[in-house]
Amino acid sequence: MDFSSNYDITQTANFIHTGNFTRVALQFPDDLLKDSIRVVSELRKELNLLTTKEIGLYVLADTTYGSCCVDEVGASHVDADCVVHYGHTCLSPTTTLPALCVFGKANIDVSGCAKCLSDCLLTSDKPVLVLYGLEYAHALESLRTESSSLCGTEGSSRLHFADVSSSVINPLESKETPSVKLESSNSCTANGSHDGSKQTEDKIDGFKHSIGGLTWKLPQGHKMEDYMLFWIGLENPAFSNLVLTYNSSDIVRYDPVENCIMKDVSQTKKILQRRYFIVEKAKDANIVGILVGTLGVAGYLNMINQMKALIARAGKKAYTLLMGKPNPAKLANFPECDVFIYVSCAQTALLDSKEFLSPVITPYEAVLAFNRGSQWTGEYVIGFQDLMTSAQFNVDGGPEEARFSFMKGCYVEDFNQQESINGDEDKERATTDLAEATHKALQLHDKYPKSIIKGAAKSGAEFFSSRSYHGLEMQTDDSVPRTFVTGRTGRAAGYTGEPKKEGNS
Amino acid sequence: MMVKFTAEELRRIMDLKHNIRNMSVIAHVDHGKSTLTDSLVAAAGIIAQETAGDVRMTDTRADEAERGITIKSTGISLYYEMSDESLKAYKGERVGNEYLINLIDSPGHVDFSSEVTAALRITDGALVVVDCIEGVCVQTETVLRQALGERIRPVLTVNKMDRCFLELQVDGEEAYQTFSRVIENANVIMATYEDPLLGDVQVYPEKGTVAFSAGLHGWAFTLTNFANMYASKFGVDVSKMMERLWGENFFDPATKKWTNKRTSSATCKRGFVQFCYEPIKQIIATCMNDQKDKLWPMLQKLGVTMKNDEKELIGKPLMKRVMQTWLPAATALLEMMIFHLPSPHTAQKYRVENLYEGPLDDQYANAIRNCDPEGPLMLYVSKMIPASDKGRFFAFGRVFAGKVSTGAKVRIMGPNYVPGGKKDLYTKSVQRTVIWMGKKQESVEDVPCGNTVALVGLDQFITKNATLTNEKEVDAHPIRAMKFSVSPVVRVAVQCKVASDLPKLVEGLKRLSKSDPMVVCTIEESGEHIIAGAGELHLEICLKDLQDDFMGGAEIVKSDPVVSFRETVLEKSSRTVMSKSPNKHNRLYMEARPLEEGLPEAIDDGRIGPRDDPKVRSKILSEEFGWDKDITKKIWCFGPDTTGPNMVVDMCKGVQYLNEIKDSVVAGFQWASKEGVLAEENMRGICFEVCDVVLHSDAIHRGGGQVIPTARRVMYAAQLTAKPRLLEPVYLVEIQAPENALGGIYGVLNQKRGHVFEEMQRPGTPLYNIKAYLPVVESFGFSAQLRAATSGQAFPQSVFDHWDMMMADPLEAGTQAAELVTDIRKRKGLKAQMTPLSDFEDKL
Repeated sequence: MDFSSNYDITQTANFIHTGNFTRVALQFPDDLLKDSIRVVSELRKELNLLTTKEIGLYVLADTTYGSCCVDEVGASHVDADCVVHYGHTCLSPTTTLPALCVFGKANIDVSGCAKCLSDCLLTSDKPVLVLYGLEYAHALESLRTESSSLCGTEGSSRLHFADVSSSVINPLESKETPSVKLESSNSCTANGSHDGSKQTEDKIDGFKHSIGGLTWKLPQGHKMEDYMLFWIGLENPAFSNLVLTYNSSDIVRYDPVENCIMKDVSQTKKILQRRYFIVEKAKDANIVGILVGTLGVAGYLNMINQMKALIARAGKKAYTLLMGKPNPAKLANFPECDVFIYVSCAQTALLDSKEFLSPVITPYEAVLAFNRGSQWTGEYVIGFQDLMTSAQFNVDGGPEEARFSFMKGCYVEDFNQQESINGDEDKERATTDLAEATHKALQLHDKYPKSIIKGAAKSGAEFFSSRSYHGLEMQTDDSVPRTFVTGRTGRAAGYTGEPKKEGNS
Repeated sequence: MMVKFTAEELRRIMDLKHNIRNMSVIAHVDHGKSTLTDSLVAAAGIIAQETAGDVRMTDTRADEAERGITIKSTGISLYYEMSDESLKAYKGERVGNEYLINLIDSPGHVDFSSEVTAALRITDGALVVVDCIEGVCVQTETVLRQALGERIRPVLTVNKMDRCFLELQVDGEEAYQTFSRVIENANVIMATYEDPLLGDVQVYPEKGTVAFSAGLHGWAFTLTNFANMYASKFGVDVSKMMERLWGENFFDPATKKWTNKRTSSATCKRGFVQFCYEPIKQIIATCMNDQKDKLWPMLQKLGVTMKNDEKELIGKPLMKRVMQTWLPAATALLEMMIFHLPSPHTAQKYRVENLYEGPLDDQYANAIRNCDPEGPLMLYVSKMIPASDKGRFFAFGRVFAGKVSTGAKVRIMGPNYVPGGKKDLYTKSVQRTVIWMGKKQESVEDVPCGNTVALVGLDQFITKNATLTNEKEVDAHPIRAMKFSVSPVVRVAVQCKVASDLPKLVEGLKRLSKSDPMVVCTIEESGEHIIAGAGELHLEICLKDLQDDFMGGAEIVKSDPVVSFRETVLEKSSRTVMSKSPNKHNRLYMEARPLEEGLPEAIDDGRIGPRDDPKVRSKILSEEFGWDKDITKKIWCFGPDTTGPNMVVDMCKGVQYLNEIKDSVVAGFQWASKEGVLAEENMRGICFEVCDVVLHSDAIHRGGGQVIPTARRVMYAAQLTAKPRLLEPVYLVEIQAPENALGGIYGVLNQKRGHVFEEMQRPGTPLYNIKAYLPVVESFGFSAQLRAATSGQAFPQSVFDHWDMMMADPLEAGTQAAELVTDIRKRKGLKAQMTPLSDFEDKL
């Protein structure tokens, strides 16, 4: 495909020109970085035709967080006033900078896809809603005409297509109340929740849904379950997002690479079951780590604060951690955290935590886990903007009763259930933990090695004091100097005396 | 016949602590406990004034009636007024002649032994029911031991006497031998509990602590009955007469002489046979043969008068009626209990040591000891009973000291409460105090110590059991928590049919778990809800309760029963394996080996554990298991859950910074031992030896993040190289059956991979006692098949016994073990293929 059309060079130049931007950051994901130089030179050529103004173009690479989000922090390093984002995107709203997303244009066999679509329509008695990866948005028009000619008028009436909301992201004006803002602009709501206020609002034009940059409207009285979803695209986070959010709808996937339909989504249903398990596990946590997974997506700060408040209300201890993209090794550096909440854009939020020492959950799951009285109903919200409007968020604490832990299979008591009454004392306790531990160390109280038992710590300090190793210690019990032991010799890649591999099995 | 009472009248007797008996009825399944209890209830059960007589009081559930077995223990109050005559010999304290007997009938099937445990805690005495032919069986023994451990004083009744007379037609001497053997067997168990405070707990017919009963026909006697009849005739006192009626005492009617040995005379017979057995036999025979002309004079001699309409009866009904009138079961059994079982006042004197966790000289201990109604409240809640309004529970228990009253604020100390702490502690008001009158609950103002009580309004704060005391008694210690003897090994996964019913299911599982201390409701990695119970029957009942009572009838789908396995190793790792940390700068070297035989069990029993004194641990390990003394000091941890039967031992020499990574290795081990490499089942009996460690010299590069995942990987590699094997749970099955059923039993056992290791004829009976091992996996449907194969003559009792290694190699495709692993992995939603060794082991 033509290079400049693939990268929407003309459109981009127009965007920069009309927006009167002077410093532009071009954000590339790793796999497109190789094209960056060419994009810059083409873009420069195009801009020179439009204006004589000096416009700075900067290439941003190696994004700290998910490459699907607009890297506003990176852009502000060069003091840019707008960002052009290339490649796969989640179209999450930005906080300060306007952004243009260039989706790219992936190859698709339009006629093959239309064929599959019409087959699907014929076999299903439900209307079909077509959703697609943004990289296939360019082929939408031709697909629409092709398929309607295949299905005839009767079929076409049962065929619905989602639209791309907008490739331009404008920052929210008020940072304080992003959720309210979001709702009115309707750029990113919809989670299938039908609370009263929304319904009245939507009465005129039906209920509006949107996910991952796609929007569509359902006629009044229709539910998502009444539709069959037809997804064009690969099995990527955007797709899992869809499956989890609309877990009660029938979903088929058309794979543009294989040019065929994949009906088996049971694996993804299993994901939902597994998430349910993780939520139950999270309920038992005492110490929670909040992983900051984005510095761009609008409302992240608000979300983090909400999470902190939520955790505090549940009587647990929260630590906020900033570590870029999480991986098992990084997270295992915080063994005291029983669970991590990953605050990030919708498409990077789901981490399969099998390899992680402690599970990683999304803010929505955190709400389910830590808000006594909220229930797992099958509804699933991934984007955290959606979450604030979700019904679960505002559920008030359940009955004051011992909590049932499905991990242990018995009733357990949360630490602060009662202690919250005298919260001050508790706070004090946490800070004096270390002091207390040191104090105790001076007493002759526990002759047995502590290390074999690790209690459930309620704060990082307490966890640390229960560790067997606290740093360099004086050998008080044993005043006789030890004999020297010869250290290792050789290269670090394999010291002499290290057991060599015998044979290759 | 039932006693009609108002709540006020009943409440009045509850104050007479010397006149109360709290007792449980315990027995092996099908020894006729419930029938016997029913006859007591029919005669002396207290029912509310307004309710009409309802016969079956104990088995209240439809499914119990259908199966003919008791599932839940039920409490029932009996009222009995002793005659002055019969109280003459009573030496204990008493107030008047009225007695209140709180009786708890509990299930005999092993699967429900938790119910028995709960019942024992709140009673002081036990009526042990033993089938006169089958004798003392597994469950009798288990429960009896449990009872004695709780310092419950037993009395015995030899039940199903009717079988001797009707079914087997045994002669007197043979019957005597059978009875005395049954009693002896029970005494053998009781004799092992020597307790100076409780005194002699063995039972003796000649002392009146053994009764002979026919629950089905509603009659029973103790030797006291007969001794009273004959004492005056022989001109000796009653106790002397009783001695003559048991043991080696013979009477020859011809010479009218008592001897200690059987004389050569043909008319010389044992006292028991002559004066107890033969008369009964004669009466029964006369009734059954409808020889009414003979019968009436005989009855007149015995002082038994029959009503006119009863005289019309013939055959069995006549016999039943006559026997019930002559030797009413209620009178004999109740008098035995009142005479020989302790009142709360007596029992709490010695039970306080078993019950109270705190210092035995504080005011709470004293209040319990003296059963002091004016003392501070001490109440133990032993079980939660589902109330008729769905979702609520009565907290059922016993007041050991003080009084509990409606509206009182109580401190609730849960099982995890530590005196002085705030954990598991609530202060709440009792909404209502309730007592049972038959099936009806009646509210009363308060309930004094020595009685059982149900409380309303505390169910949210009591999970399974708890100790209650007055709000202000902040320094009271709790009453010791109960220990349950069976472990839940059989599990099913449940799902709701309609996805949106999930909240109902979750709520239902919580309630189920509250109502039954034995059931464990958990969730699996795959997100499935699991219910674990003691056996197939137990699970079946749980599921029924869950669906009908706790989920309001919402439909559930259950999986086939699932058994949990354990992962172990057969040999020492074939070589030292090494894994590198993610940054490749740290290397861990390990080997896995099986723990010595018996060591995992010792860890399970808590003989060896993380909290031990290292010296004691070292001694046991070196003396019993042959460990090197130095190595015993290098155990890093136990796992999973810090107490499990696997270990990490440090075998390194001179490794720098080793201390620093210890916590990380331990964390990795806890993780790995919980989810073994084969199918993510718990590990069992594996010892991981840390052989060598290479660490980066910079602390930041050898943090938990680097070491924890690496420790887990290297342990998996070590497990894979040490011939990993699966362990399956095995039941000990005990079956009693007549000889002709043995063939069928062996057949079914063989088919199910079971093997018999003991076969014994019960002395003096045609019955055989068979003990066998049966894999739990194969046990589903076992009872039904066994019944079919033996035309209903064999009834098995299965209890989890041990873990057995499956010799098949799970790594070799096509073996049974490999298939099992695949099945488990599939169920858990894991990849069907095991992760290969190369993913865990790294090369230099």
